[in-house]
Amino acid sequence: MFERRLYYHIDWALVASVLALCGLGVAMIYSTTYDPTRGNSRMWMTQLYAIAIGAGALLFTLTLDYRTFTDKSHFIYLALIGVLLYVLFLGTVQMGARRWIPLGVFNLQPSEFAKVGVALVLAKFFGENRGAPQWTDLAIGGALTVVPFALIAKEPDLGTAVTLLPVFLAVAYLAGMRMRILGILLVAAILAAPVAWKFALKDYQKSRISTFLDPSQDAKGAGYQQIQARITVGSGGVTGKGFRQGTQGQLRFLPVAHNDFIFSVLAEEQGFAGVIVALGLYLFVILRSLEAARLAKDRLGSYLVLGVLASFTFQVMYNVTMSAGLAPVKGLTLPLMSYGGSSMIATLAGFGLILNVRMRRFTN
Amino acid sequence: MAIEERRKIGIRLSVLQYLITVIFSVLAVSFWVLQVVQHAKFEEMAENNHQRTLPLRAPRGVVFDRDGKVLVENRHSYSILLVREHTKDLNRTIRTMAGVLGMDESAVRTIVDRHKREPTYRPITIVQDASLAQVAAVTARRLDFELPDVVVEQVPTRRYPEEMGAHLFGYVGEVNDAILQSNPDLKSGDIVGQSGIEKVYNAVLMGQDGARRVVVNSVGREIRTLEEDPPAEGKRLQLTIDADIQKAVEDAFDATEAANLTNAGAAVVLNPATGEILAFTSRPAYDPNAFAAGIDGTTWASLTNDEQRPLNDRAIQGRYSPGSTFKMAVGLAALEEGVITPDFHANCAGHANFYGRDFKCWKKGGHGSVDLRHAIEQSCDVYFYTVANMVGIDKINKWATLLGLGVLSGIDLPNEAQGLVPSTEWKQRVRHEKWYAGETISVGIGQGAVSVTPVSMAVYMATLANGGTRVTPHLLKAVDDGSGWKPVPAPPPQSKVEINPDKLQAIRDGLWMVVNSAGTGGSARIMGQDVSGKTGSAQVISNAGRAAARTNKDLRDNGWFVFFAPRDHPTIAGVVFLEHGMHGPNAARVAHHILDTFFAKQEGRPFPPPPTKESLRFDYSDPMAKKQQPAGE
Repeated sequence: MFERRLYYHIDWALVASVLALCGLGVAMIYSTTYDPTRGNSRMWMTQLYAIAIGAGALLFTLTLDYRTFTDKSHFIYLALIGVLLYVLFLGTVQMGARRWIPLGVFNLQPSEFAKVGVALVLAKFFGENRGAPQWTDLAIGGALTVVPFALIAKEPDLGTAVTLLPVFLAVAYLAGMRMRILGILLVAAILAAPVAWKFALKDYQKSRISTFLDPSQDAKGAGYQQIQARITVGSGGVTGKGFRQGTQGQLRFLPVAHNDFIFSVLAEEQGFAGVIVALGLYLFVILRSLEAARLAKDRLGSYLVLGVLASFTFQVMYNVTMSAGLAPVKGLTLPLMSYGGSSMIATLAGFGLILNVRMRRFTN
Repeated sequence: MAIEERRKIGIRLSVLQYLITVIFSVLAVSFWVLQVVQHAKFEEMAENNHQRTLPLRAPRGVVFDRDGKVLVENRHSYSILLVREHTKDLNRTIRTMAGVLGMDESAVRTIVDRHKREPTYRPITIVQDASLAQVAAVTARRLDFELPDVVVEQVPTRRYPEEMGAHLFGYVGEVNDAILQSNPDLKSGDIVGQSGIEKVYNAVLMGQDGARRVVVNSVGREIRTLEEDPPAEGKRLQLTIDADIQKAVEDAFDATEAANLTNAGAAVVLNPATGEILAFTSRPAYDPNAFAAGIDGTTWASLTNDEQRPLNDRAIQGRYSPGSTFKMAVGLAALEEGVITPDFHANCAGHANFYGRDFKCWKKGGHGSVDLRHAIEQSCDVYFYTVANMVGIDKINKWATLLGLGVLSGIDLPNEAQGLVPSTEWKQRVRHEKWYAGETISVGIGQGAVSVTPVSMAVYMATLANGGTRVTPHLLKAVDDGSGWKPVPAPPPQSKVEINPDKLQAIRDGLWMVVNSAGTGGSARIMGQDVSGKTGSAQVISNAGRAAARTNKDLRDNGWFVFFAPRDHPTIAGVVFLEHGMHGPNAARVAHHILDTFFAKQEGRPFPPPPTKESLRFDYSDPMAKKQQPAGE
């Protein structure tokens, strides 16, 4: 299965930049969770373990031919739906949401793996089709996305659920969906927004959006985080306040600094210079992955790469925008850097698939 | 993959590549705007976020007496403050705080509402001089994050260690809006002097508040101190007050009160050569300590509703008829204007007729033929009726004014009231009437329109004692701004007049005889010190009015004793005034203890023991019983 020559086709540059981002994340987690009054926090260690497990997952998704995974994608998909159903009814409740499966040492968040699962099943579905997808294809592909979307949104975890939509859109787009249809979908989405506002969104979600439009209307509540995010980033300056010297993150003016707002902390402590390095790494990872999609030997491979990459890219862009206080605060983490085991493992597994496609571009 | 297909995918991927690159570029530019262009603004916001400037209250200057004894000092008290800056739910905080402090919720809310419009970072004082239990309770809740926005602050608070001279020291309190607006150096919440020397010398006594810049976290807990600008203590003052004499005054008045004679009155004792005040009191007094950490409503109401007006400073604000103590002014006017000589005799038959009206002497049988000296000694009314009639009101006004009566003394205390010595000009101006010569007769014995403040009486005696210099009574002796004591020059005299020594001597002889011969001031006598003085018993209401009055108001006479000593080279002068003290001799008994203490200190002998109600042997007999005439008045 794993021939020796494949080893030479591993994209080491991508591996290195992914690991560099992981390392940056660990450093920032260490910085924000360091509390001299309470002894050292173990969070950065936990994150290291997650990276190690994620590396194992990456090896696994790299070793087997990606076509093996897509061939089995309907099983993977069904298993995923099953697990999401299980979480919805029997999962662990934390902070008002049912998102986790307790596994003794840590809690597993299946919704993170849904992104990879949906990417696999959509790659297979559109990869088997010939020609530009028709309405029926789009409807089936859409349905495949909406089922896990609905299950995750029900937890409730709208943020993670929303990251599934770019997967569908990206794969359908690459499969040759007509631009007119894309336009219709966009118009439909815009028209649906007020309806969603009225019926689908919960009050806290509405308040987040209205607060974003005018942060000062709720300077102590939801708007507070947004204002603080801007202060955090802006006060960083060109070179930053220095490692563990950020007042905003260290003194807890910014909530969940090690998680949702880790990029703000990076901006505060390492300044604009650190931001450029991190953004550069992310852009490199994304463009390099797009390159893998271009090089893939079959459409299936291209779709798979783009499917995996879509949720990643969407999440990175949204989180970075939010970290600067330029988007409504949403519980979306920054892949590779934010604290969180499930996300790290799922993301690294996804990169295993991307590397897999590129590595096997010459095999038959 | 077909070539065509690959080309199509390639194009679409290129579109994504460009799109993503553009988005990342926009993000980079956004960060550049926030972090580089707007950096200064956000840096300041971040600093305001986590840096807090806490005031360090400067203690007010310590006040010493002339011998260096501490009169006013500071102690530490704790204030409980609310900083609303990071308060999420103000109502909850108020509720919790009221519970923890054992206060009424509405009371806390009232305080918070009063400061509603101030910036949220400015602390609101909820409790001044908090009890240790309150401090402990709040501190514990702070650590639980239950009340992170409530702060305990250590504040230096005024302490008046001995119960004396309340009106002299005055009291302090939070600055009010009116003062705040006229004085840009003050800020809301500052403690300033509200009366007494605390007010007059507030600018000197007030220190410069310091500040401590601390780092706080998002719930307001202090993490560390960045820098500390220590507060500068207010300048230290040395007063002219002699704590020993002051204590003697207070002791004697305490005895007066214990003896159930009166609890109201005033005394001013000064150095006749310089105007330095050695002792100063007004009764009833209040406890300035009650104001030091914010007076509570009940205490304030009881002070302001008290009919005796304890907040009034009788020594400088009370205006009373001087009675017989005015006779020296009349006598001196007559001498200096050449109307009489000391040997001028008048015959007292117990009453005399002026302008068709009968005026009585206090001594029913009369004094017979008396000269000036004996008229002062015996306080003969008929003699001074006669002399006043001869001199005329305007000459009396001129000399009384030169001696310090009817004018402001210029003492360095706030809100001094001005007494009155009538004149033809005054009557025309104020009452638009002509002065009738008959009115001068009553003025001759210090009744009628004449009114004086106790402090002006002290100046009057000092002027008689020093030969014509109307010294300015004052309290400030020296100031120490940290580089050692710097004496403050005495304020210049208000006026100076050359009095013929022989004529003045006649008055002084009379005053000496009052105390050391057969006069009414015998109880002020001190062996070897030639105490000279004059008693006065001034009617509060006319005899006719007294008979007609059906009120519960205290109508007993006021008692005066004015003095200086020793006769020839006086070192002390002053006044003791007992409101409703019935007789001048009672005031002389109080003065005796003061003088005795003064000379004991001068001679280095042990101080006399504090007087008791028995030792003062007050005279409680109703003077009206003697004075009341059956008919014809």
